[in-house]
Amino acid sequence: MLKLVDLDVAYGGLHALTGVSLEVAEGEFVTIVGPNGAGKTTLMKAIGGGVPLAAGRVEYRDRDIGGLPSHARAHLGIAHVPEGRKVFASLNVLENLEMGSYRAEAKRRRAGGLETVFALFPILRERRQQLAGSLSGGEQQMLALGRGIMAQPDLLLLDEPSQGLGPRIVEGIFEAIAAIRRSRPITILLVEQRVVEALELCDRGYVLETGRVALSGDRETLLADPRVQHAYLGT
Amino acid sequence: MVGARASRLAGLVPIGLVVLLGLVLTLVLGERHHHRILTLVFVWATMGLAWNIISGYAGQTSFGHQAFFGIGAYVTVLLVVGVRLTPWLGLIAGTLAAVVAAVLIGFPTFRLAGIYFALATLAYPLILRIVMDFLGYQEVAIPMVRDRPTLFMQFKDPRAYDVLALAALGGTLLLSHWIEGSRLGYALRALKENEAAAEAAGVDTFRAKMTAYMLSAAPAAVIGAIYAHAILFVVTPDAVFGTLVIVQTLVVCLVGGVGSKWGPVLGAAIMVPMSEILDATVGDRLPGIQGVVYGSALVLMILFAPEGIYWRLRAFRPSRAVDTPTESAPAAIMAGAAGRSPGAPGTALLDVRGVSKAFLGLHALEDVSFTVHAREILGVIGPNGAGKTTLFNVLNGFLSPDAGEVRYRDEPITGLRPNAICRRGVARTFQVVRTFPQLTVLENVLVGAFVHEPALAAARARALAALAAVGLRSRVDALPGGLTTLDLRLMELARALATGPDLILLDEPLAGLSRDGVDAMMALVRRVRDAGVSVVIIEHTMYAVVQLVDRLVVLDHGRRVAEGAPNDVVRDPAVIEAYLGNKWLGRVAGLPT
Amino acid sequence: MSVGDLLQYLVTGLLVGGVYALMSIGLGLIFGVMRVVNFAQGDFMMLGMYLTYFLATGYGVDPLLGAVVIIPPFFLLGLGVHRALLVRVTGGGDPQRLMDAQLILTLGLSLIITNATTMLLTPMPRGIKTAYATQAFVVGPVLLNQARSYAFLMALLLAGAVYLFLTRTDLGKALRAAADEPEAAGYQGIDVRAMHGLAFGIGIALVAAAGGLLATYHPIEPTVAVNFIVLMFVAVVVGGLGSIPGAFAGGLMIGLVQSLTLLVLPFQLQNVGVFIAFLLVLYLRPQGLFGQRLRAV
Repeated sequence: MLKLVDLDVAYGGLHALTGVSLEVAEGEFVTIVGPNGAGKTTLMKAIGGGVPLAAGRVEYRDRDIGGLPSHARAHLGIAHVPEGRKVFASLNVLENLEMGSYRAEAKRRRAGGLETVFALFPILRERRQQLAGSLSGGEQQMLALGRGIMAQPDLLLLDEPSQGLGPRIVEGIFEAIAAIRRSRPITILLVEQRVVEALELCDRGYVLETGRVALSGDRETLLADPRVQHAYLGT
Repeated sequence: MVGARASRLAGLVPIGLVVLLGLVLTLVLGERHHHRILTLVFVWATMGLAWNIISGYAGQTSFGHQAFFGIGAYVTVLLVVGVRLTPWLGLIAGTLAAVVAAVLIGFPTFRLAGIYFALATLAYPLILRIVMDFLGYQEVAIPMVRDRPTLFMQFKDPRAYDVLALAALGGTLLLSHWIEGSRLGYALRALKENEAAAEAAGVDTFRAKMTAYMLSAAPAAVIGAIYAHAILFVVTPDAVFGTLVIVQTLVVCLVGGVGSKWGPVLGAAIMVPMSEILDATVGDRLPGIQGVVYGSALVLMILFAPEGIYWRLRAFRPSRAVDTPTESAPAAIMAGAAGRSPGAPGTALLDVRGVSKAFLGLHALEDVSFTVHAREILGVIGPNGAGKTTLFNVLNGFLSPDAGEVRYRDEPITGLRPNAICRRGVARTFQVVRTFPQLTVLENVLVGAFVHEPALAAARARALAALAAVGLRSRVDALPGGLTTLDLRLMELARALATGPDLILLDEPLAGLSRDGVDAMMALVRRVRDAGVSVVIIEHTMYAVVQLVDRLVVLDHGRRVAEGAPNDVVRDPAVIEAYLGNKWLGRVAGLPT
Repeated sequence: MSVGDLLQYLVTGLLVGGVYALMSIGLGLIFGVMRVVNFAQGDFMMLGMYLTYFLATGYGVDPLLGAVVIIPPFFLLGLGVHRALLVRVTGGGDPQRLMDAQLILTLGLSLIITNATTMLLTPMPRGIKTAYATQAFVVGPVLLNQARSYAFLMALLLAGAVYLFLTRTDLGKALRAAADEPEAAGYQGIDVRAMHGLAFGIGIALVAAAGGLLATYHPIEPTVAVNFIVLMFVAVVVGGLGSIPGAFAGGLMIGLVQSLTLLVLPFQLQNVGVFIAFLLVLYLRPQGLFGQRLRAV
C-alpha cells in the first residue's frame, strides 16, 4: 500500500534521510524505531507531505504522491497524527474531532466515528466542550489519536505518540493503539523512540539510524536482536 | 567587505563623487522648481538614510520615524518664532530633542517583538500630531527676516537650500559609511540576521539597537528642520508628522535598496523627480497621482524586487578579488581571554546547582546538578525531550531557571543576558547552525571576535586565526549559503572560539555529518580541549560521544539519571531504560560488551 | 456632571463602538488566520462606503440594507486581492520578513486605493440623507441617535453571523484550525492557503459592510480611512491579536475610551486617550485582553 523508494530528504540544511526504502502492505502494522536524530520524524513528514524530497519516491497504492500537498494526501485516506500532537488549541475537543472528519467520506460517518472515539477514550466524551489547549499532555495525545481515527483512514501514520508523556500514560496510549488495530482493518505505520512497546504492537519493523535503515525484520526477530540496543547506545 | 585602512578611505571616494555630482547639478540647473525638486531629492535621500540605520542595518522596521523629522522641524521653528534663536543653533536643540525622544521611545519599545514594535512606533507621530494641533501649532509660519536673513536660514537663492540639504546628505552618508565599517555596524547586521546568535556571540543587542536608534534620529531631525525652512515655510503637524513623510521614506528605501547607503540615494533620485513632475503636470486633473505612484512603487517592488534596485544591480557585479593579508597569527587556538589562564585540570569551571525550569506545567528540568572542570570534555545525553537544549539555554542565558543557580569561575551567572555570559567566557553553538546569511564567513566570525578586540584590524586578525584553527581559511569570503554542513558547523565553532572562551557549549555538532565529518569534528573538539578550553557537548551519535568525552551526564525527563565515565554510563540500567523503555532490559538476555 | 450625562457618554461610546467592533473583526480575522496586518483595511471600508452611497443615491437602497448587499462583491474582491497579490509575497521563508513584506504590500495597496479614488471620484465629501440620521430615540435621560442605533444593531447582527459561522460550520472551524496549527490542519485535509483567501475575503467583506453602516451618519470621502485604520489597529491589539471575540470587545472598548476621554480632555485630543491605551497595552500586556501568545512573532 505504501512504498518508499530510495528516499533522500534534506531538512534544515542537513541530510536527514539517505536512500531509505521501505514498504507497508495493506492491513499491516509496521513500526519504525530509532534514536533521536535518526530521521524518524522527517520520514513521517515525507510521507505526510510536509517536506520536499531531494530524491526518491513515495508511492501510495501504486501512485506517486510526492508532488501532492499534505491536504490532498489526506483526501486519499492517509491520516497523519503528528509529532507533538498539534491539537487545535482554541477549538474544543468536539470541534477537534469534527475537524478530523473534515474530508467528505469521513464527514458522512461522523456520528459513528465520534461514538468509536468516545468508546475508546471515555475522558474525551467527558471533556468534549473543553478547549483542547487546556487538556493535559496525555489527553491531548488521546485527542490527536481520536482526530486521526475520525478521518476513517485507510493508512494511519502515528508520529512518536509517546513523546513528552509519563510512563503510565504512555501505556494507556499504546493500549489504545492496539485496540484500534484490533477493531478495524486499518494499516498503521508507527514511528517511535520507545522500542519494546512499539515493536510489540507491530507485524514488522525497521530500525532507523542516522538517516538510514539499519535493521529490518519481523517482530520477534527484532525484539530478540541486541543490535537494536547498539543503534541507540552505540554498544 | 572592508579590508585594510586604504580600502576604508577608498570607500569615501564614491561619497565624494555623489556630493560633487550634487554640487554640479545645483550649479547647472536653472529653474526655481528644478531646484525645489533637487532639494527634495536630497531631503528624502537623507531621511531614507536615517531610516536605513535603524530599519535597514538593524532590521527593526520603524513606521514612526517621522516623529524625529517633525521634532527637528518644530523645535527649530518654534525657537525662531519664540525666542528668535537662529536655526543654526536651533538645529542642535532639535537634534538633541530627537535623540532624547529616541531614547524614551526605544527603551520600552525594543523589548517588543517584531510586529508589536512596528505598531508601537506608529503611535508616536500620531500622538505628536494631535498634541501639536491641540497646543495651537496648527500653522507655524516662519517669519521673514529682513536683516541678516542668512542667520535665519533664509536665502534668496534657491541654490543655497540645495547646498544645505546636500550637506546634510553628505554628512549622513559619512555617518552610514562609518557605521558600516565599525564594530557597531557588524553588531547591527548580525542582530538583524539572527538576534539569538548575535547575543550568544557576545553582542549586546539592546545597546546596539538603542545606539542605532539614536544615530538614526539625529539626521532625521536635521533634515526635518531644513525641510521646514527650505520647502514648507509654514509648518503644520500633518506636513511633518503625517503619513506622507513615512511613505516617501519607505518608498525611497524600498525602491533603492534597504540596508545599503546607496539605496536611499538611488531611490530618491528615481522616485522624487518622477512623482514631483507628475504632480506638476497632471496633478490638477488627477489629484492624488503622487499617492498612486508611491503605492504602485511599493507594491511592485515588494512583489518583484523586494531587495531594491541597488542589491539587484550588485548581484551582477563580479565578486571582488580576495585580498589576503599576511598571516600573522599562527594556526593556534586562542584559549581564554587576555590574561586569564585556563585552570589546572580538575578545577571546577562551571557549577550547575539544582537547576529547575518548567514551562506551562511541564517540568523541562528538575533539580539538575553537575560540575564541569577545566580542560575536560563533558557529554550531555538523553532521549528526546529530556531537557538537554533547555539546559543549554539556561546555561548561556536565554532562559532563567525557576530554581537553582549556575556559577562560572565561582561567580553567579544565573539570569545574566547571553551576551554578558559570552563575555565572561562561555560560548555556544546551536543545534541548527545559526548563521548571518548575508555576511561572509569571515564577517560571521568577526562578530564574535569583537568581544575582546574592539578595533577592526585586531578583530579581523583574530577572526582569521580562528578560521585557520578550524581549517576554513580558504573559505573566508564565501557566503554561508554555499557551505557544506561540516563547513557551517566549523564556521560556528570558529565564531565561538573567536570570543575567547574558557568553556564552549556545543549543541549536537555532529548531526547531519558523514562519517568523515564526524571524525574531523571530533579531532577538532579534542584539540580545543587540549588547548585549554572545556567543552560541554550534547549529542545523539552515541558511538562518537562515547569515544570523545571524558565524562557523561545523562538526562531523562528533566532529571539527571546518571553521571560518570562513558563506558560505565551506557551500561547503567537506568540509562538503558531511559532510552529504550523499561521493558527492554527484561527482554534482552545479558548485556553485550 | 450628572449621572445622566455620564450615561450619555457611555451609550454614545457603545453605539459607536459597535461599528468599530465590526470593522475590527475583519482586521482581527485576517491577522488571526494569516498573520497579515492589513493596512488597506480602512480603504476597503471607504470603498464600501462609496458603493453603499451609490446604491442609495442611484437605486434608492437604504444604506442599512446596502451594507449587507455589498458583502458578496467585496468578498470576491478580497479573494481576488489575496490570490493576485498576497500569495506572491514570500519574505524568503523568514516569518518576520514575511510580515514586514505584507505590511508594506498592504500599505502600498492602501495608497493606491485612497489616491485612485481621489482621482476618479474627487475629494468632495458626500453624505447619505436618511430620515433617521437626525432623529433620536429617547430612553430616560439618554438620547440615542437613530442612525447610530440602527448601525449598532446591524453591526451586532453581522458580528453574530460571523460568530455562528466560525463556531457552527465546518468551514468556520477549519478556518480557526488553520489559524491554530497550519501543519496539522493540512493533515486533516484542510487547504490552508484557501483558508487564508477565505479569511481575507470575509475580512474585507465585513469591513466594507461596516463602512456601509458608517455611511448612515458619517461623511464619505476618500481619506476617511485614515481616521479609522488606527482605531481598528488599536482595537485589535487591545482585544488581543489573534482573537475574534477580542477584536469585537476591543472595538467596543475603543468606542468607550474615545467617548469617555471627552469627559476629561477637549475634543481635539479625543484620540490621544485611544493611543495611550494602545501603548499601555503594547507595553504591559502585548497579547491583549483575550489574545493568545503568537507563534511566529
